[in-house]
Amino acid sequence: MIVFKTFLKILNKNKFIIIMYTAILIFFGGMNMSTNDKSTNFVTSKPDVLIINNDEDIGITKNLIDYIKSNSNIIDIKNDEDAINDALFYRDVNYIIYIPTNFRSYFLENKNPQIEIKTTGDYQASLAEMMLERYLKVANIYNSILDNEDDIIESINNTLSKEVKAEITSKLDTDSLSKVTLFYNFSNYSILAGCVYVICLILSSFKDEKIRKRTIISSTNYKKINRNLLISNSLFALILWFFYVILSLVLLGDIMFSIHGLICIINSFIFTICALTLAFLLANLINSKDAINGIVNVVALGSSFLCGAFVPMEWLPDSVIKIAHFLPSYWYIKTNELLKTMEIFNFDTMKPIIINMAVIILFSIGFIIITNYFSRKKQKFA
Amino acid sequence: MKKIIEVKNLTKEYKNLKAVDNLSFEVYQGEILGLLGPNGSGKSTTINSILSLLNFSNGSIKIFGSEMNPDSYEIKKNIGVVFQDVALFEELTAYENIDYFCGLYIKDKKIRQKYIEDAIELVGLNDFKKFYPKQLSGGLLRRLNIACGIAHKPKLIFLDEPTVAVDPQSRNNILDGIKKLRDNGATIIYTTHYMEEVEILCNRVIIIDKGKVLASGTLDELKALSLIEEKISIEVNDLDLKYIEEIKQFRNVDEVVYDDNHLIISYEKGKNNIIKLIDYLKDKNITYNNLYVMRPTLNDVFLSLTGKELRD
Repeated sequence: MIVFKTFLKILNKNKFIIIMYTAILIFFGGMNMSTNDKSTNFVTSKPDVLIINNDEDIGITKNLIDYIKSNSNIIDIKNDEDAINDALFYRDVNYIIYIPTNFRSYFLENKNPQIEIKTTGDYQASLAEMMLERYLKVANIYNSILDNEDDIIESINNTLSKEVKAEITSKLDTDSLSKVTLFYNFSNYSILAGCVYVICLILSSFKDEKIRKRTIISSTNYKKINRNLLISNSLFALILWFFYVILSLVLLGDIMFSIHGLICIINSFIFTICALTLAFLLANLINSKDAINGIVNVVALGSSFLCGAFVPMEWLPDSVIKIAHFLPSYWYIKTNELLKTMEIFNFDTMKPIIINMAVIILFSIGFIIITNYFSRKKQKFA
Repeated sequence: MKKIIEVKNLTKEYKNLKAVDNLSFEVYQGEILGLLGPNGSGKSTTINSILSLLNFSNGSIKIFGSEMNPDSYEIKKNIGVVFQDVALFEELTAYENIDYFCGLYIKDKKIRQKYIEDAIELVGLNDFKKFYPKQLSGGLLRRLNIACGIAHKPKLIFLDEPTVAVDPQSRNNILDGIKKLRDNGATIIYTTHYMEEVEILCNRVIIIDKGKVLASGTLDELKALSLIEEKISIEVNDLDLKYIEEIKQFRNVDEVVYDDNHLIISYEKGKNNIIKLIDYLKDKNITYNNLYVMRPTLNDVFLSLTGKELRD
């Protein structure tokens, strides 16, 4: 009891810094979520297009330009090659269409006039290219069967104005799930930083060589003291995890009562155990309280950046992802990311998630073994 | 008298170094035993071995009549240790620190509260109960360190250099506290290299060097081992070298040192040395002040036994 009481007193002495830490984490977590990841939503996209028209702005030429205008953002850049190349380089424009002289007359005479283009080669440019090809294909078909230009234009417009209504049959609340993923990804940092900071701080006091020596010669079994410390620290980690779960229930609402939310909670619990074991290992390795802040930054912040807690995993280079495989955070965040788009829950779909959780548990076992090794090495006074 | 500690043939080896070499001694109930020796003499190794903080190569250690080992929690209940290094929680107040260490022995909260108050009273920390270690001076920290080690009222106390780097006021306070502990019936093992403290406190002294007991006994018994019988110190201004050479030729004179207008003459044996010296000074018309006679110190004993100073 005296150990637990002292644990609480040390925790209380550091309450301001712990509260400050938590407040900062919540603030940044909230900021992160408010950016609202739309990566699972469908949005209309219009490429930035520049049209250089060397023909007369009439008939089929005018119709082509009008069609492009209605389906893209027309960018106004002076007809100068250097200016156009700069605009491409800086992505001010995605696609440039050069309509040649006599395009209209050659087209109507079936002489197949060549339209030159310049492209940035990205997906926006591909959209513009698809749009142009679509128009030309439809125009060529009607040109081969109709003689009158007005009829051709009317037919083209009729065909291209037809819209296919696409309906998303998925019932996933993608917006809310994205927020859940963002929250729990960010909690990777919060849980790691909280556990490592507090546990290292507490244990560095108890494991101080002079205090340890005085404790060993006391009439209380040292193993019992260690056991009490383990329970106290585990209790702290559990409270920290519970706090973030409650926070997620408050901030994210009903979605947390779905199977997605439940798996996120289970995943974060397993990760908290792992963070606890890692904190024990680090507390055994460090000898100075001054090193704790540095350790928190390296371990929590470093692994959060490497494993995609702050930025989506798909944005990270392959080399970084390869390194991230050696960190438990990667497997934790991978599960959160999988859950974002998971609709059907059965053994096959759950298998990767179970594997991820198993890997985190293996990491925890590894940390326990290494901690025991160093702990025993330290205890050998002679 | 009842034996509290019985150390027999204790040997502790580190690879090629014998830190403690076949050491044997006893500590009796109610005494303050001084463990005296220069740095690296094996004092701390001996204490750590007695407390089972170190494995030892050979020998046996009995405390309160029972074999001591790391799991002897019943024996440990009655032992208090104050190490040379201050061992305190920076995050706890003086009172909370004592409470934690006392709590490792005393589970009952009410008894513990009483014991903590007694310990605070003993070391004179009444005005500093709510102070954190960082707010305390070096001397007060040492006093708090002692309070943490003895609050559970142990029957056997190990004090390892408790007055190192302490101001005179705190030192006096600590020494008074130790005397009170003895008066309350505790047996104390006091490790130091301050000979004056040993002379003030200890009933018996063991002198250790290179892991071996060089001598043991009461202060008088040890001083009898000294080659020096007495020392005479005289303040003489500008004493001529020829007089010093003449004094060196006196009977029983072992050593003459003249430094900073102080002449110190060490005599091996003999009586009436001082009368002969005064007669000589009168005869030579040498004016002098502050003449006094000194008894041999433990340092002289150590010097006689090893040929080197205790603080070398």
